[in-house]
Amino acid sequence: MIRFVLRRLLAAIPIGVIVTLGVFALVFAMPGDPLRELAGDKPIPAAVLAAKRAQFHLDEPFLVQYLLSMKDILTGNFGTTFAGADIADQLRLRIPVTLKLTLLANAVQWTLGLIFGIYAGFKRNGLIDRSLLLVTLVLLAVPGLVAYFAAQFVFGVQLKWFPVSGVLEGFPNSYLLPALVIGVLGFAGLARLMRTSIVETVNADFVKTARAKGLGEQRVLWRHILPNALLPVVTFIGLDLAGMFGGAIITESIFNLPGLGQFMFQAIKLKEGGVVVLLSTLAFLSFIVINLLVDLLYGILDPRVRHV
Amino acid sequence: MTTGEVLLKVENLSVEFDTPRGAVRAVDGVSWQVRAGETLAILGESGSGKSVSTQALTGILEMPPGRIVSGTAEYRGADLIAMTTKERRRIVGDRITMVFQDSLSALNPVQSVGTQIAECYRVHRGMSKRDALKRAAEMLDQVRIPAAAKRARDYPHEFSGGMRQRVMLAMALALDPDVLIADEPTTALDVTVQAQILELIAELQAERDMGVVLITHDLGVVSDVADNVVVMYAGHVVERASTAAALDRPVHPYTEGLLGSMPSADLKGQELPTIPGTPPSLRAIPSGCAFRPRCPIAIGDCAHDVPPLLTVAPGRDAACIRRTTLLEREAG
Repeated sequence: MIRFVLRRLLAAIPIGVIVTLGVFALVFAMPGDPLRELAGDKPIPAAVLAAKRAQFHLDEPFLVQYLLSMKDILTGNFGTTFAGADIADQLRLRIPVTLKLTLLANAVQWTLGLIFGIYAGFKRNGLIDRSLLLVTLVLLAVPGLVAYFAAQFVFGVQLKWFPVSGVLEGFPNSYLLPALVIGVLGFAGLARLMRTSIVETVNADFVKTARAKGLGEQRVLWRHILPNALLPVVTFIGLDLAGMFGGAIITESIFNLPGLGQFMFQAIKLKEGGVVVLLSTLAFLSFIVINLLVDLLYGILDPRVRHV
Repeated sequence: MTTGEVLLKVENLSVEFDTPRGAVRAVDGVSWQVRAGETLAILGESGSGKSVSTQALTGILEMPPGRIVSGTAEYRGADLIAMTTKERRRIVGDRITMVFQDSLSALNPVQSVGTQIAECYRVHRGMSKRDALKRAAEMLDQVRIPAAAKRARDYPHEFSGGMRQRVMLAMALALDPDVLIADEPTTALDVTVQAQILELIAELQAERDMGVVLITHDLGVVSDVADNVVVMYAGHVVERASTAAALDRPVHPYTEGLLGSMPSADLKGQELPTIPGTPPSLRAIPSGCAFRPRCPIAIGDCAHDVPPLLTVAPGRDAACIRRTTLLEREAG
């Protein structure tokens, strides 16, 4: 087990280098001069420009810039943004925002997905099952961007149930609308997977064995069908959770939530390579850790893939 | 002939499946019985209805699409088909248990074999987890799995095919059932292991005076272990006899054809005889005798009515209008 974890973490190092280098190169390749953009229309003295360039290492060649950024990240010396904000402070303020949004959205998605998926799977071809298939098909076809703006307009502007954007009302009020939209959109895939997995498992031979043993339906369901039907769902949930940060870039920008996603969006706009790489590294690390946890959980649930 | 008490008596059992293109009858008016200490073989090809009949009477057939049209299945006088699911669960899984063909898919892959066997004791005997697990390990020992106490903690995929089938047996015999229904228990195994498993079943049967219903398509298995045999074709019982009599002098032309196509040393160097044609689709069972199109002695009258199962000699039944007595068989 410990060897498995260590092996996975070691294997993550080269992948991390490739990911961060690639992201940094993309930012580097973007057109425009970040410092001039920051100054706007106002003329900027050449001496100030040169000093700023030296401060953010913008006068160095690409590889040196990358290595200096990585050195800063690894030593925990995050420095400031181009605009002068302390990056470490920003992270302290923004990480909780993203976590709250992501966890709330996932809670909505899992609850809806598992309950409806399990119910539809057991009562297949019933009313709930047929409605679920139809509703999820529609949900899967709705682009997130459309749903976010529509929800803001309907539930925020018109009905005034939720704040339209921002975090002024704090947790959970300000987070409810985006989390519900993400959760409802995301539940479609999860519910369908859960349903299919149960329908497949119900016909398995070992379920027939369980019935031949004279077990009650409840016992067959909870002890034999569900533990097997949940296996593919665990993998899906892990990948989904790990991918939430990507979605946060769009949702946090639209709902004006000051989290990591919005920070990332601003950093990309301003061509701040250091911040983008820092945030990418964070996303990458969380991806690796979540995947590792899912694999370990999978090993506990399914003895056939248990790690030595 | 065994003379023990009749444990399970199936009479006139018919099962249909609802399909988008209408109902098909998989089992049609099947009757048989098994006594204590007896091994009854149900012999037939795939699709002959041999598994469906036992799954229907134990209530594990998917219904719908399956449907029991008629018939009774009496365990010591109580009709399993008429009783409620709850009542049936006290008998099926306790007094009547089953073993299936593919032990890898028939065991729950995410539970240790000990837990799966222990579940029988927990549910039917209300034992504590600890006692149940202890009994499960004892059962594994009884089916001769080495280091049983240790292996009880292993999972199905960690066993070989033969050992896994022993686990299935241990699970089926855990509660000392009166009747064991073994549905092709050795089909997935190689010949050596097959012999070991059959021998084990016979031994455990003798210890317990248990009735065994052995579903198989393998005449070799029938001749090795069965006391009596029921031959099924296209959902019908076509012949019922003691194994020795059926093998010695088969009455129904189908049984005769099966026996003729059994490999033996006498046929060395010759082409193996076969029954011409293929079994009919359940959607298009021929009128009258279903075996008629493949039968070497069929006549025009065979197409009229489904031949009834007639007693051709004491303890022998066959469903063939050309052979209503043993003498007729000798004649032609």
